[in-house]
Amino acid sequence: MKLYEFEGKALFRQMGIATPEGRVATTVTEARAAGEELTFPLVVKSQVLSGGRGKAGGIKFAENMTELENYAKELLSAGFSGNPVKQVLIEEKLAIAREFYMGITLDPQKSLPLLIVSSEGGVDIEKVSREMPDRLAQEHLDPLKKYRLYHMIDIIKRTGINGTPVLALAKVLLSLVRCYTACQAITTEINPLVLDESGRAIAADSKIEIDDAGLSRVKNMDTVKREDETLDPLEREARSAGVSYVGMGGGDIGLIAGGAGLGMASMDMIAAHGKKPANFLDLGGGATEEKTAAALRIVLKTPGVKGVLLNLFGGINNCEQMAKGIVRVVDEEKPNQVIVVKMRGHSQDEGWALLEERKIPIIKLGTTSEAVILLNEKVKEKEL
Amino acid sequence: MAILVKEETRVLIQGITGTQGRYHALKMLEYNVKVIGGATPGRGGEKVYDLPVYDTVSEAKTNHRIDATMIIVPPGGVLGASMEAMESGIPLIVIITEFVPIHDALTIRSRAVAEGTCIVGPNTIGIISPEQSKIGIMPGFIYSRGDVGVVSRSGTLTHEIASNLTYRGIGQSTCVGIGGDAVKKTDFIDILKMFRDDEETKKVIMIGEIGGTGEERAARYIKESKYPKEVVAYIAGLTAPREKRMGHAGAIISGGFGTPESKVKSLTEAGVSVAGNLDELLEYVQ
Repeated sequence: MKLYEFEGKALFRQMGIATPEGRVATTVTEARAAGEELTFPLVVKSQVLSGGRGKAGGIKFAENMTELENYAKELLSAGFSGNPVKQVLIEEKLAIAREFYMGITLDPQKSLPLLIVSSEGGVDIEKVSREMPDRLAQEHLDPLKKYRLYHMIDIIKRTGINGTPVLALAKVLLSLVRCYTACQAITTEINPLVLDESGRAIAADSKIEIDDAGLSRVKNMDTVKREDETLDPLEREARSAGVSYVGMGGGDIGLIAGGAGLGMASMDMIAAHGKKPANFLDLGGGATEEKTAAALRIVLKTPGVKGVLLNLFGGINNCEQMAKGIVRVVDEEKPNQVIVVKMRGHSQDEGWALLEERKIPIIKLGTTSEAVILLNEKVKEKEL
Repeated sequence: MAILVKEETRVLIQGITGTQGRYHALKMLEYNVKVIGGATPGRGGEKVYDLPVYDTVSEAKTNHRIDATMIIVPPGGVLGASMEAMESGIPLIVIITEFVPIHDALTIRSRAVAEGTCIVGPNTIGIISPEQSKIGIMPGFIYSRGDVGVVSRSGTLTHEIASNLTYRGIGQSTCVGIGGDAVKKTDFIDILKMFRDDEETKKVIMIGEIGGTGEERAARYIKESKYPKEVVAYIAGLTAPREKRMGHAGAIISGGFGTPESKVKSLTEAGVSVAGNLDELLEYVQ
């Protein structure tokens, strides 16, 4: 789960990383109240999850209350990359002396966290890496090692930073390393980390993505837990049912697969037979009768679906349980769409028997290709 | 011959007293796997299908020779169970559990690198050497013995491909699910090396997915090592949309990274026949 800047900064403060004095506002009235508590000049920042906010005009500088109200109103009414902006973060403007970059992300090549520090902050780090590699230090973190301040000082000095800032930066870096583990993060980034005129290191921005599987372990979850607004209603329904659903738009074949790989292979096969999938749905492990039924209901509700392919295996799941879920939906909703089930594995005979009673077409030992062909034929028959 | 799991492999099941553990213990016994017993903290002294349950792995170890352990415990218990198995010196650990927190997987992986332990998973169907033995949750009867080695990131896709091969009379030496998560110890290359040295394996099927870089690294290995056996590959998700996560695990193309094009290109350049879909894959193997 990606965090908003203000959520990330709350976690930073818990870890001892300083952030600018600020308030979150969801209305102009709240923005005004923030303006009364804070000292101008202020920065007004749209709270959005996608990048490129600065360039798209999502950050404004307010010198007085009138400007603050106008900017808050403007940013809160404007959408950002198709999503509404629900909050703005209003912060006191920093007296910037120097800007730096610090980030930790998962390196998929090495399966290790990669720490990157640069003496150039506030800019695209990939650009620094290409054009000024000597101003950047990289270090793979050892998950079994306990890091201490002197490790961080070594890393900071490799970027060419010397003198008084070293200690202040090293302390932030150590907190960031601890934050990465404590927050079960996949990515934590401060860009820019500002050194102000009084020599304080302050995180002017935050970018944190938390591993969904570790989310429940993050302390003070109430500060970060929320609905992911980038999901559409069916995706949200799927999430609460514990299945992974992605709407595709435009296709007419609904898809439920027992596993992501089989799901993607089914999509490829639907495409090979000249059709477009309307959705992707991975039923995942632990597919109970309820979960299977919920998945089928969601796919049947997907706009444009004329036929549904269920491509399932009884591995960790069990064919009988999944068949019961399918049968339940067919009995209760009597769907108009065609359903074809390809299913084998543990308890397959019991599962097949249930489906045969309802005359639901089954591919028992055939391939995914045969299932797609059968579904296409049945959809065509229905259209005639 | 086969790799990793053979008829004589003696297996412990950590989490045998849970619903899943119990169910798959039975399925493994039905497949004639030498399951020696299970371990669940606080349940020592109980029996599951006449198999002894121990409180700890080390207790099981003092009573039996153990070649491998299967971990099928809830996600929060995987780190502890894996550490326990490594500290008891069990050389092969198969982690079935999905939704293991990434930071736990990182710790497990680093410890396994230090100890030299072979860890397969997390989020895997496990390993099967058909008609010999299995450590995993796959339905054994859709797999059959033969000379094709299968290594895959995707669990059910392995069932699909193995069963299609079986119904066409093509058997498999060993099928290994390396798991769908981003952080894992055993990768394509480790298994490719084992298949290279296995006399029973004549041909290898590699099943990848979009996202990550495991397929590209495997391609480099195949090319640089002048891999002596024929490799046929399929990458699932050739038609998947960008920037959308397909399933909960690793399959996402993001920022031009993990694209099917780069995977197909590097594998093709390494001399691997890459199938465009499952039907083509079957044709290439036959």
